[in-house]
Amino acid sequence: MNKLLIKNGTVILPQKDRTIEADVLIDDGVIVQIEPGINDGKAEVINASGCLVGPGFINIHVHFREPGEEKKEDLLSGSRAAIKGGFTSVLCMPNTRPPIDSPLVISYLLSRAREIGLVNVFLTAAISLGLEGKAMTDVGLLKNAGAIALSDDGKCVKDSLLLYRLMTYSKYFHMPIILHEEDTDIAGEGQVNEGKMAFKMGYRSLPKVAEDSIIARDLVLAHSTEALVHFTHLSTAMSVKLIEWFQGQGVKVSSDVTPHHLLLDDQSILQYGNQAKVKPPLRDQTDIVALKEGIQRGVIKILASDHAPHTHEDKEGDFNEAAFGISNLEIAVPLYAKALIEDGIINWLDFWKLLSFNPAQFLGLIKKGSLETGMDADITILDPDTHHEVKVNEFVSKGRNCPFDGWQLKGWPVATIVNGKIMMRPS
Amino acid sequence: MEWKHKHLLGIDQLSGEEIKILLEKGNQYRNWLEQSPKKLTRLSGYYLINLFFEASTRTRVSFEMAGKLLGMEVVNFTNELSSLNKGESFRDTVRTLARMKADALVIRHRSSGIPLYISQFLPFHIINAGDGMREHPTQALLDLLTMKRDGIDFTRNTVAIIGDILHSRVARSLSIGLKKLGSQIIFSGPPTLIPKGIEVLEGQVIYPVEEAIRQANVVYLLRIQKERQEAGFFPSTKEYSHFFGLKENLKNTNNGRWKKIMHPGPVNRGLEIDSSLVEKESSLIEEQVSCGLAIRMAVLETLILGG
Repeated sequence: MNKLLIKNGTVILPQKDRTIEADVLIDDGVIVQIEPGINDGKAEVINASGCLVGPGFINIHVHFREPGEEKKEDLLSGSRAAIKGGFTSVLCMPNTRPPIDSPLVISYLLSRAREIGLVNVFLTAAISLGLEGKAMTDVGLLKNAGAIALSDDGKCVKDSLLLYRLMTYSKYFHMPIILHEEDTDIAGEGQVNEGKMAFKMGYRSLPKVAEDSIIARDLVLAHSTEALVHFTHLSTAMSVKLIEWFQGQGVKVSSDVTPHHLLLDDQSILQYGNQAKVKPPLRDQTDIVALKEGIQRGVIKILASDHAPHTHEDKEGDFNEAAFGISNLEIAVPLYAKALIEDGIINWLDFWKLLSFNPAQFLGLIKKGSLETGMDADITILDPDTHHEVKVNEFVSKGRNCPFDGWQLKGWPVATIVNGKIMMRPS
Repeated sequence: MEWKHKHLLGIDQLSGEEIKILLEKGNQYRNWLEQSPKKLTRLSGYYLINLFFEASTRTRVSFEMAGKLLGMEVVNFTNELSSLNKGESFRDTVRTLARMKADALVIRHRSSGIPLYISQFLPFHIINAGDGMREHPTQALLDLLTMKRDGIDFTRNTVAIIGDILHSRVARSLSIGLKKLGSQIIFSGPPTLIPKGIEVLEGQVIYPVEEAIRQANVVYLLRIQKERQEAGFFPSTKEYSHFFGLKENLKNTNNGRWKKIMHPGPVNRGLEIDSSLVEKESSLIEEQVSCGLAIRMAVLETLILGG
């Protein structure tokens, strides 16, 4: 059966800035009708009563670790985690081993993702060869091979001239640039946010200025080159201020935050230890407030998760040696709901804009991110009232590195439909 | 018409009418080059010094031949052989040469403005054979002569200049010359090599390269220096040739007429242009070399004899 009918849901239309009570009919992977009272005897029916039905969530920052570190995650386990988390599309970062810096690696990964066929897997190609920050990759050839964005995520592009040239050059190919902002000289071997906790615990600190100073540099570069620039995993209040000021000057830069930077602060490390060790480090309450206000004011336009799975061995033991990162793909949506909906920062319509419509616009995915006829039938159904406890040992991701184990969260995705196929069903 | 310029420092100093005079004279020499024997005596007894501080084969030989065909005595200096290697200053070297009492000096130098600088204190005619990233006036004149001889009407002509505009004196001189004759200019190539301020040349920047080519009737490809890639202006020669090089599938026609292909040479086959296109009927690349000789004869004669 190719037809699918989602009945009785509250349909989120981010492209029209409104919600309606309606049914959604899907035929052969495409949305064909959205209106109340649709009946089609040939369609499989999903009852979405009491649920929100919107365009599928798009996560523009995940690490699926393939190739090279499949013991942490691979395309199959990552795709399963995405489905469970309500995501229909993901954008994988290129800091794999080897990095995604050649057309061959891109072709291989896209072909693997097609074979698996669970979610839409999009790839980010490296900005610099080998992520070494020295020489630009073949931007055009990488795009031809299927990459849709550029990033040296995990590393900052230290060489200002390289980045300036890249920003200028990549415009020709309309390739967005996703930047990991961290002055490596200032960051040094920093492990946690500079402040009382770092001092008390004797951990090397990673000051906020490491992020702020590079963001300032790159905003100036983006202003000069008019490149399509996006700052990922923002963590400081000053970053938000800087971006807002440049946006006011007409610079079209965007940014995202992770759920953990909205829900945890550096004091959380006392409670969660290595599981709360991330880059950029968890900051303090003033930053959390500023990030939330940045979302509310439309400065931060995208929610991402920086899903960073690691093995148990990578995360255990000495804090200084433990890997940075949190596995969060399966719980990112309710985490965001807790940080933003429960706090009254935004409503569900805005939520969908930040997690579906805006990411699709930024990446140029013209058939995704909106719910209207003719669009790809990528749909997430979410029950805003469901409560669940986070159980890390039930994760389908290989990464169990997560500080949120045992948290009670509300607002979980209950169905994930990708290209018209039900990948997760309402239970 | 009496020629009012003592030197040829750039195309910028010439009016459209003056360019046309040089083209007309160059055209006559180009016809005459088909004959043998060729030797003329028009500039017999005059001395020409070729002073090249940058590597050059075709321009230096072209000036040397042009002088000799007109009966001049020609002396070649290259940087490697000069006293500059012994520590003599540039100014002293040039002043020493001035005492040699030559009539004309052809100079190429890596610094923009050197021909203008030496013209202020040297007594003879200075011809700029390429100064840094500023001007290469005889290249522009030979390009214009090539177009003229191909029957191109400058007032209905659109030239797409593609590649390293940023570092190119050829692009600057050619654009200025084309504008003075009424042509339209399009620039395209990697955005890193299309400089800010390019609007001063009164052309239009069009991306992508395919669209720039589509709108032009002459496609002028600039030489790509390998060091530009090493300096990070574009990722690799493979990527350059794929996206910015002229290929068989891009040499589309214009109302049934092949687009003309030009290049200042030497050509990096397979980089700026597919090897198969270099010798095609629509390629004017080899004819540019012959026109270069003719136009340099015209320039020498005009400067020394005064029109």
